[in-house]
Amino acid sequence: MQQQQPASAPKPKKKIRVPRVINGIEQMVEIEVDEDSGPGWGPNDKHTLLNHPMQRVDGPLKVTGAAHYTYDMRVPNMLYARIKRCPHAHAKIASIDTSAAEKIPGVAAVVPAPLTELRFAGAPVAAVAASSPEVAADALRAIVVKYEVLPHVVHARAAIAPDAPKVVEQKDEANLQQKAKQGDLQKVEAAFATADAIVEEEYISQRVHHTCLETHGVVVDYSGGDTATVYASTQGTFTIPGDAAQALGLPESNVTSVVQHMGGGFGSKFGIGVEGMLACKLSKQTKTPVKLMLTRYDEFVMAGNRSGSWQKLKGGVKNDGTLVALQARQYRLGGIGQGSQAGQPYIYKAGEFYREVYSLHTNEDSSIAMRAPGHPQASFAMESLMDELAYKIKMDPVAFRIKNLTDPVYHRQLERGAKVIGWERRNSIPGGNPGPRKRGMGCAVGTWGGGGNNQCKVDVTIARDGSVKVAVGTQDLGTGTRTFTRAIVAEEFGLRLADVKEEIGNSRLGGANSSGGSTTAASLSPSVKDGAIKARLAFSEKVASLLDNAKPEEITFANGNVTAKGKTLTWKQACAALPASGVVGHGEWRSDLQSRGIHGASFVEVEVDVETGHITPVKMLHIQDGGLPLNRLTLESQINGGMLQSLGMALWEGRVMDADLGMQVNPGFGDYKIPGALEIPEMIPLIDDDDKREAVIGIAEGCIIPSLGAIVNAVFNACGLRVRELPITPDKILMGLMKNPSGTA
Amino acid sequence: MKKSRDEKDGQPESHNPSRRKFLKGVGIAGAGAAVVDKLWIEADAKEQAGAPKVVSGNVRITLDVNGQKRAVDVEPRTTLLNTLRNRLEPGVTGPKLVCEAGTCGACTVLLDGKPAYSCLVLAVDAVNKKITTVEGLGTPEKLSPVQRAFVEKDALMCGFCTPGFVTTISAYLKKNPNPSLAEIREACKGNFCRCGTYPRVFEAALAAAKSGTV
Repeated sequence: MQQQQPASAPKPKKKIRVPRVINGIEQMVEIEVDEDSGPGWGPNDKHTLLNHPMQRVDGPLKVTGAAHYTYDMRVPNMLYARIKRCPHAHAKIASIDTSAAEKIPGVAAVVPAPLTELRFAGAPVAAVAASSPEVAADALRAIVVKYEVLPHVVHARAAIAPDAPKVVEQKDEANLQQKAKQGDLQKVEAAFATADAIVEEEYISQRVHHTCLETHGVVVDYSGGDTATVYASTQGTFTIPGDAAQALGLPESNVTSVVQHMGGGFGSKFGIGVEGMLACKLSKQTKTPVKLMLTRYDEFVMAGNRSGSWQKLKGGVKNDGTLVALQARQYRLGGIGQGSQAGQPYIYKAGEFYREVYSLHTNEDSSIAMRAPGHPQASFAMESLMDELAYKIKMDPVAFRIKNLTDPVYHRQLERGAKVIGWERRNSIPGGNPGPRKRGMGCAVGTWGGGGNNQCKVDVTIARDGSVKVAVGTQDLGTGTRTFTRAIVAEEFGLRLADVKEEIGNSRLGGANSSGGSTTAASLSPSVKDGAIKARLAFSEKVASLLDNAKPEEITFANGNVTAKGKTLTWKQACAALPASGVVGHGEWRSDLQSRGIHGASFVEVEVDVETGHITPVKMLHIQDGGLPLNRLTLESQINGGMLQSLGMALWEGRVMDADLGMQVNPGFGDYKIPGALEIPEMIPLIDDDDKREAVIGIAEGCIIPSLGAIVNAVFNACGLRVRELPITPDKILMGLMKNPSGTA
Repeated sequence: MKKSRDEKDGQPESHNPSRRKFLKGVGIAGAGAAVVDKLWIEADAKEQAGAPKVVSGNVRITLDVNGQKRAVDVEPRTTLLNTLRNRLEPGVTGPKLVCEAGTCGACTVLLDGKPAYSCLVLAVDAVNKKITTVEGLGTPEKLSPVQRAFVEKDALMCGFCTPGFVTTISAYLKKNPNPSLAEIREACKGNFCRCGTYPRVFEAALAAAKSGTV
């Protein structure tokens, strides 16, 4: 007989701080967890499925068109909706005449957008629902809006002027608002006096777009009545029902959200959004299902963007490479929003530092969370400054970074990266290569949290027929969530991936967190593991009688067999011993199965043609740690993705605003250039297996951060020109070299 | 003429957004796409032989989609992409609507074996052509060699660009069964991916070619 613990005995608890993501922004909260909560993952090199390359389980659906995304949903009688937009950067609506639009055959409803004062070009004014997207477009053109046009400002340097048009609503709020101040100015000034070399420069990063290929949008399946289903392209399945219920006038529990597959989010898809609210409004009014997906134009002008930055940095070093002082004035350029930017000196240790952080408003769509909010901006500026300092004191940029980073993980990553890329091949003198096509190399490092939180409730069910199901309401953004969810359960039971089916993407299933801040893997996988362990224990008890009453810890699950005391049952035989209802393990989050704090280092080689200004990325390498790699194949894909999004930001992408019109002049893929097949360099994604933490940590954000600085620094090493404003387009190279043929100013 | 049209539509000129009227106005000299030449239209079958004609309103056409004849009502302005996705019943949603401007390649289908952006093709212009979408190349149970290589090499993440890449590469490998990496890049320069799967798309294309079964 096993001795049972009295049910009343409380388990010892401990308090830990975990990240909680609200609208894509990571915040730390304190929670209570069990001190000792069960078996762990075991050593990272002892897994049978995890930490191996696994093909993603939804791959066959996605490569054949059988995967149904929100954009693909079609329900009977569904109307198609579109949004009418304001063409002015700042205006009040004087009147809207929708009568002509309403008369068009096929137009079912026109509803106004909530705001009457519009603060950016592209702000929604009204929405229409019609029998086809073509008719909906007709209706938009038939809506006549009269505006009272107000003064606007869309460029940061103009917005900071004292007499600039006021952007934000509050009467006494200026365009420039101080948000934070840290450090001791006097101590910093004293430290600068001890420096052997000082660099003081301005760094500007542009506003870039997420450009998810599936635009934002929803299909609201509501035909009057008490219940509704909302298909949403979202990073948060559970962020939808509350908002939708409010807009539809239904109880929250009567609304179900569904997210089976989604076409990219990158931080831009939390909550139902203004488009979702308008769709619900239209559906409620017509008592008919409504589909509202943003157009590509909409997506550029109103679906958010990465905050721009304008950073004035001053750094001082000793000749031995010690960073003694750092002073920063940081402007977050978030349009009508607050913007985001990590504080300087970012990950480096400065003897003394002082920083002031401001929001600087312009009449542009608010910036929103985008993969590692605020980090690439800060990293780009700080890594540029560090590089400038290193060259100024004639120190190897790798050695200089190691000198100023306390965490030894960075040291090993920098050393490994330098070895793999052949750092010794770089220009000893920047721009020193003969000929017009000049090659060079740069490096940078970055960090992120990636820890989880206790929101995921997972059910692992084994049926008597041998089928295994793992269910949780989470969503898969394309990161491979489905695959690792399945793999954790399959590994626990010694089964193949194909033997387990996952059910996700539905708010009727167990709760799950939003996928923001790289928190999904570290939030979900502990709950899946916990559910699998509990199901395994329950299973073991049920089959013990077939295995000479073996104790649970004596029973092994491997290769589709269940074995104990010299007896082996096939999986099917063992399952036949289960009761009709099967067994279920209810998985809860365990803090000890995850961790936080990751490191990454990037090395990039580029070729700069100094006659055309054209930059060709030649090779990109990124090393990333992250505890236990759940799936090596998808992990490498994500590292590639981070590098490539960084590459786009470094060289090509950027929202271009016309000062007079106040409009974005490149709201389409024809003019807003994301990386394409011809621009892709040789890619080297490296997983840092020296990280022995037996814990899951999210890495998506970590691997977008340092490549940016590495590219900028490689351009300098190649041609000797320091470009401090992104993106580094050919005009900047040519103008820079014209002003100063020998390179840096 | 102009006046009578206005009266017929019963709307003041400035408020009338009708594309139909626009097409009438430009007649056969304009957007040739709506000009039906050798087009079989059920409603006007007897007028079929003769000069090119302008169509308006809903017209019934028959499309050859993945080997099946599919009758469907379209407007002259309806794109092939929107016809596949919104008008066929059930819809064919493998080709994705991403930019609707011929810039991203996610809507790529094969017309008589050649890749085409279906957002730039009018449905009426696809009549009498063999339309192959990603669904027509293989199924989850029976993947084509290119599709299998995409899964094996992890040449997809969110998967929204994937149908476009798969169709583009499938067509290219038929034309050039033994391509170089540079040729593969060139072949899919009209397709965008945002997740960053390109290196593995290239690997998958080369692996599929190497398998020799395309």
